[in-house]
Amino acid sequence: MISALCYLQYHSVRNRLLARFRRLKQPKYLAGAVVGGVYFYFYFFRWMFAGRGRHSLAAGAATPLDPQLYELLGAFLLFVVVLLAWVLPHQRAALAFTEAEVAFLFPAPITRRGLIQFKLLRSQAGIFLTTVLLAFLTNRFGIGGKMVIHLAGWWLMLSLLNLHFLGSSFALTALMDRGLAHWKRRLGVLAVVLAGVGVVVAWAVRALPPLTADRLVDLDAILDYARQVLVSGPLPYLLYPFRLVVRPYLAANPLDFLVALGPVLLLLVAHYWWVMRADVAFEEGSVEAARKLAEKVAALRSGKWSGGGRKIKSKRAPFALASIGPRPVALLWKNLLGAGQAFTLRLWITLAAIGVGVSFGLHGASAESSWRLVAGSIAGMMGIMLLMMGPQIIRQDFRQDLPQSDLLKVYPLRGWQVALGEILAPAVILTGVQWLLLLVAAGGFWRAGIDLSSALLLAMTVGAAILLPMFNVISLLIPNAAVLLFPGWFQTGKDAPQGIEATGQRLIFALGQLLALVVALVPAGGVFVGILLLFKFWFANYAGSLVLAVPIAAAAATVVLTAEAGLGIMLLGWLFERLDISAEPAA
Amino acid sequence: MIQVEALTKLYGEFVAVNALSFSIQAGEVLGLVGPNGAGKTTTLRCLAGIIPPTRGRIHVVGHDLALSPIAAKQQLAFFPDEPRLFDYLTVWQHLNFVARIYQVANWEHLATPLLEELEIADKRDQLPGELSRGMKQKLAIACGLLHSPRVIYFDEPLTGLDPLGIRRMKDSILKRARAGAAIIISSHLLHLLEEVCSHFLILKGGQKVIHGTLGEIRLQFSEQSGAANLEEVFFRATIEPPIPPPIVSETPHT
Repeated sequence: MISALCYLQYHSVRNRLLARFRRLKQPKYLAGAVVGGVYFYFYFFRWMFAGRGRHSLAAGAATPLDPQLYELLGAFLLFVVVLLAWVLPHQRAALAFTEAEVAFLFPAPITRRGLIQFKLLRSQAGIFLTTVLLAFLTNRFGIGGKMVIHLAGWWLMLSLLNLHFLGSSFALTALMDRGLAHWKRRLGVLAVVLAGVGVVVAWAVRALPPLTADRLVDLDAILDYARQVLVSGPLPYLLYPFRLVVRPYLAANPLDFLVALGPVLLLLVAHYWWVMRADVAFEEGSVEAARKLAEKVAALRSGKWSGGGRKIKSKRAPFALASIGPRPVALLWKNLLGAGQAFTLRLWITLAAIGVGVSFGLHGASAESSWRLVAGSIAGMMGIMLLMMGPQIIRQDFRQDLPQSDLLKVYPLRGWQVALGEILAPAVILTGVQWLLLLVAAGGFWRAGIDLSSALLLAMTVGAAILLPMFNVISLLIPNAAVLLFPGWFQTGKDAPQGIEATGQRLIFALGQLLALVVALVPAGGVFVGILLLFKFWFANYAGSLVLAVPIAAAAATVVLTAEAGLGIMLLGWLFERLDISAEPAA
Repeated sequence: MIQVEALTKLYGEFVAVNALSFSIQAGEVLGLVGPNGAGKTTTLRCLAGIIPPTRGRIHVVGHDLALSPIAAKQQLAFFPDEPRLFDYLTVWQHLNFVARIYQVANWEHLATPLLEELEIADKRDQLPGELSRGMKQKLAIACGLLHSPRVIYFDEPLTGLDPLGIRRMKDSILKRARAGAAIIISSHLLHLLEEVCSHFLILKGGQKVIHGTLGEIRLQFSEQSGAANLEEVFFRATIEPPIPPPIVSETPHT
């Protein structure tokens, strides 16, 4: 029976890979793969086997104590992960199957053992991929060299964790079936952990010099104390099973690795035996998990980036939409309603917390700064960040509506009208937030003792306020044009570009966006600078004339940007009219 | 109302629809049938202005879809097999949005009876995610009918509807046709088409096999039995002549 399951797994992976290779026949996917390949080579691959001390910062700085410290740090992290697996879950055990697998395999004459073995076998695909990725990362940024040992080390850790998660979920379900409440189980686990912590604390109080108030302000002293707690006393013994698991990864040479391998293999076998012997019904939970997975995939395929996990709530309309009037306003209205979902209470609390935190940080860094100046600086920084990143964050435009393009095309709207309507919502949101930040920044800098006259500050604020709307429209045109030009690059779910090809596409896109933005801004920038130069030429008091020059230059540059935006919207509309999403190949 | 001349749609070298011509008058209901891959959905998508045809012309209520798309689209409604709705808009907000897009004055006075007719008046503040599939389809229909289209396209309109919903949908189609709308229905449910359609267009491999009333196509494909139903006509029109049965030995088995 297991051979049939192996056949299913083998052919699923093979066919998927073949489909992705076939897609490389198209230049846009091939370009993504080539650029992604080059990126991965230069960023990760060339570090793979190149460690040997040359690029190894950590290895170079190693002291005799470090291997033990690394081992204990790794063991501690592993302990935390395992602990969470015993504390957090509150659902029944579920093996991750797709709906198709549930439909075919659950009614089939396959034993539970067969299903579990299939699940373990299938999870190996993900484990192999994660192993390679983690080995790349750790070799790139951590201890270089010993790539084979690291690969094997990561594989052992991940496989053991996978088995442990499965075993713990079975064990928790068994406890649930016996009527043990979640809180009782959590209390029990935490009591055991607290007992261990108590032993460590008792030892530290007795054996280590106390952390007095003067040592508590010394970071080195605190780190040294933590290091001693970690490497001596009872903690290394308490973490012993976890140390065994990380040891192969940290082996200095193949012989050390083989020595460390034995205990981990024993742990693997013990875990396998534990999982196989567990007599827990997982079918019900698996069916539910498969349904949720299918919903998530369906949501992603229909372009919902949240994956269908977030519950959508009905919102009040941003304004009353009359039935007669410019039609693109209907799209603005609709997209503002969609954007309203993102502006939740949680978001505002998070932003406020970040703002307060950064304010304290900045104020603390410079005792002379007034709170007003700090607030102004933060608002200015956020405004600049929003200018660059805003169009990537606020996506209530073609990027959201691409899956609904059929519906939009039936409407009696010209292509440019759809394009204008789609661009409006993110442009309005971005401009509104930026104007607010601009106001806060101007208020913060107003007579705050900086070398900037109030009149010039006002002129700069007005100039920026004039420029921002069209700048935003231009910035938004670029990613929207990319969506319509390369809809396949923005597909989500199963058909989405993945792996190296997706990384390459993102790199090409980011570079293209930057280039297009610079090209679009050059004429407007030229006009802006030209007008400032004219004022310099005409007025003897150039510094004084700037108060007038900046808003006028900004207004003239905005005219150029508006013309460019108009052309861009026409082009976007033309692209939309030519768009045929059904002609995009699936992978 | 609908006039299609030499409609051709190519995907690369693949011919999805080949030189298709037909016309439909007001009050006619055309059943678009054909095996999978015959080009039905592509034809409907071209007729709705979703995808541009590679060649050919389409006129909707006298407006050339390529030259006057706004005037043409103002007159039509397209209902795909899967209802397409916006996740963030409630039932009522959907109608408000569509009213602005189609510039429907006093839309509230039209929307309320429409929702009542479709039996979703009590769902007006609910989001699509809170509706069953059948309800979603009803909402899509309400949105499509709000501007009183004169040309209506349905792609598999009965998918997901319960028996009562099917009955209501058939009645609704016939009611619109009697009111003077030209309707095209693409479906594999031949018995449904036989009940509601006045004309039939059978496609195969992107090409027209036959177009006419049931009586006309019967005449062509059922020479031996004049009383053939649409299903028999469909099979005769779209399936290659069957392989003659093997000659059975006259010697009885022992």
